[in-house]
Amino acid sequence: MDTVLSIKNLTKHYGRVKALNNLSLDVARGNVFGILGPNGSGKTTTLGILLDVINKTSGEFAWFGQPPSKEVRKRIGAILETPIFYPYLSATKNLQIVAKIKGASVENIDPVLKRVELYERRHDKFRTYSLGMKQRLSIASALLCDPEVMILDEPTNGLDPQGIAEIRELIKEIAKDGKTIILASHLLDEVQKVCSHFCVLKKGNLIYTGSVEDVSKGAVTVEVSAEDDDLSEILEAYEGSTKVEKDGVHHLVSLKEGKTATELNAYLFSKGITVSHLNTQRKSLEKQFLELLAESDNA
Amino acid sequence: MLKLLQIDLVKLKNYRAFWVLNILYGLLIVSIPITVMEFLKWLKLQGADFDGFDPLKIPVLYFPDIWQNIAYVYTFLKIFLAIVVVISISNEYSYKTIRQNIIDGMSRIDFIKSKLATILLLSIGSTLLVFITGMLTGIIYTPNVEFAEMFTGIQFVFAYFLDLFTYLVLAFFLTILLKRSALTVFILLLFTPIEYAITANLPEALEFLIPYFPLHAINNLIAFPFKKYWFQEIQDYIAWEAVLVVVAYIVLYVYAIKTKLQKSDL
Repeated sequence: MDTVLSIKNLTKHYGRVKALNNLSLDVARGNVFGILGPNGSGKTTTLGILLDVINKTSGEFAWFGQPPSKEVRKRIGAILETPIFYPYLSATKNLQIVAKIKGASVENIDPVLKRVELYERRHDKFRTYSLGMKQRLSIASALLCDPEVMILDEPTNGLDPQGIAEIRELIKEIAKDGKTIILASHLLDEVQKVCSHFCVLKKGNLIYTGSVEDVSKGAVTVEVSAEDDDLSEILEAYEGSTKVEKDGVHHLVSLKEGKTATELNAYLFSKGITVSHLNTQRKSLEKQFLELLAESDNA
Repeated sequence: MLKLLQIDLVKLKNYRAFWVLNILYGLLIVSIPITVMEFLKWLKLQGADFDGFDPLKIPVLYFPDIWQNIAYVYTFLKIFLAIVVVISISNEYSYKTIRQNIIDGMSRIDFIKSKLATILLLSIGSTLLVFITGMLTGIIYTPNVEFAEMFTGIQFVFAYFLDLFTYLVLAFFLTILLKRSALTVFILLLFTPIEYAITANLPEALEFLIPYFPLHAINNLIAFPFKKYWFQEIQDYIAWEAVLVVVAYIVLYVYAIKTKLQKSDL
């Protein structure tokens, strides 16, 4: 595995508060890695340490197999919750500063501004921008140096639906180039849509890490309806089902592991029933997330 | 280093307060000698009588006196440039851009270097202006300019540079410590009266410490020159001890800035 980021026993204390406790994680190249957790779970602290603006208490981490340094940070694009720029400078001047720091060519500035549709406003001061425009300038800034890794911290916070859609598009576009993305969010739906892997933090502790695909694996539940009075009994008789419930108009059939809706449909058809509604309920990340948090409470 | 200076200059060039304070400072430097000469002319016109002595003949702005005189007076203006430094650094905290600079790929040391580069540029620029103003004033007002005399006492221009640079690094240090501009400027303004109140009340056994207080150290570079016009001895040279103490302070401030910045979460 080509590891982009490797974290070992990372810990951060603020006085007596443990903001981060013994976190160990690996992120492979090309992953779209989601960091989930309720507010105050240590997501932003983790990213702050990884970007060297917060000093760790103990532990280690390595980017691209190298100890953290400014050279390493130049290969990372970061979009954080609040876009930070000099309010009295124009978009162009702000990006000049970023380009100089990152060692990127100033010739990249106009193209990235065009890409995020700020080119027309490039000479206006940053403070005159709307939140959506500010966030788009963050994107432009992250794209300046063609980063190998993109870090996003709650990137859609406070954005309107169009802004959210734009950010999502961007994440997908960057992921398509084979780049690694690390995304901290509490929007589970967002993580499920774009991420390949995720971890869950709670009060500074890592309580789960795995792939998003695994979440939807395992036993599934199928919603069935048919205009047939015997449906309940026939479903009960199916050897692939573990439980049948009536939920309003639909029957909810819990299937044994490995069984699918296709097999259930074939069985019903063989009994002379044509279904009018058939829907496989995947376990959502949200459900999994809440289960994980509940489990950790009990533990 | 040059790149770091360029970065800081992009931040400052478009900031209005930077120009306002710099221009104000420059205007004061240029206008003080003119005002002094006009004042002396006015005194003469009013028929002021110094026992039959022509006020215009007081050699305040003649070579070689001029260098120590203007260097001494101009050090009182350094608060203007100190405010420029305080604003330039406290802005980085209030806009959180110091955090962003580091995320983008600056090291904390780079950040310090870029600010020190600006301080150095301000000090050099200001010293050049003092040199040019002194040279022109001297040439205009000195009767019978002699080339050798023009550069006598020129070391006070260097002392002025050291005085200003040390003070600006002190301002840098205080801003890193206090983070807020208004508070820092306030403390900077109170620094002189407080320090002088302390040294004035120091027990005799501790008086040997006085030259080592931060502002006394700076002020000892250029001694008060005007006593000679009422025929008292003055120190018309720069004491090497004073230079050493000031250089030690610069090292101390930079070290403290570095330690503080590396320890803090941004």
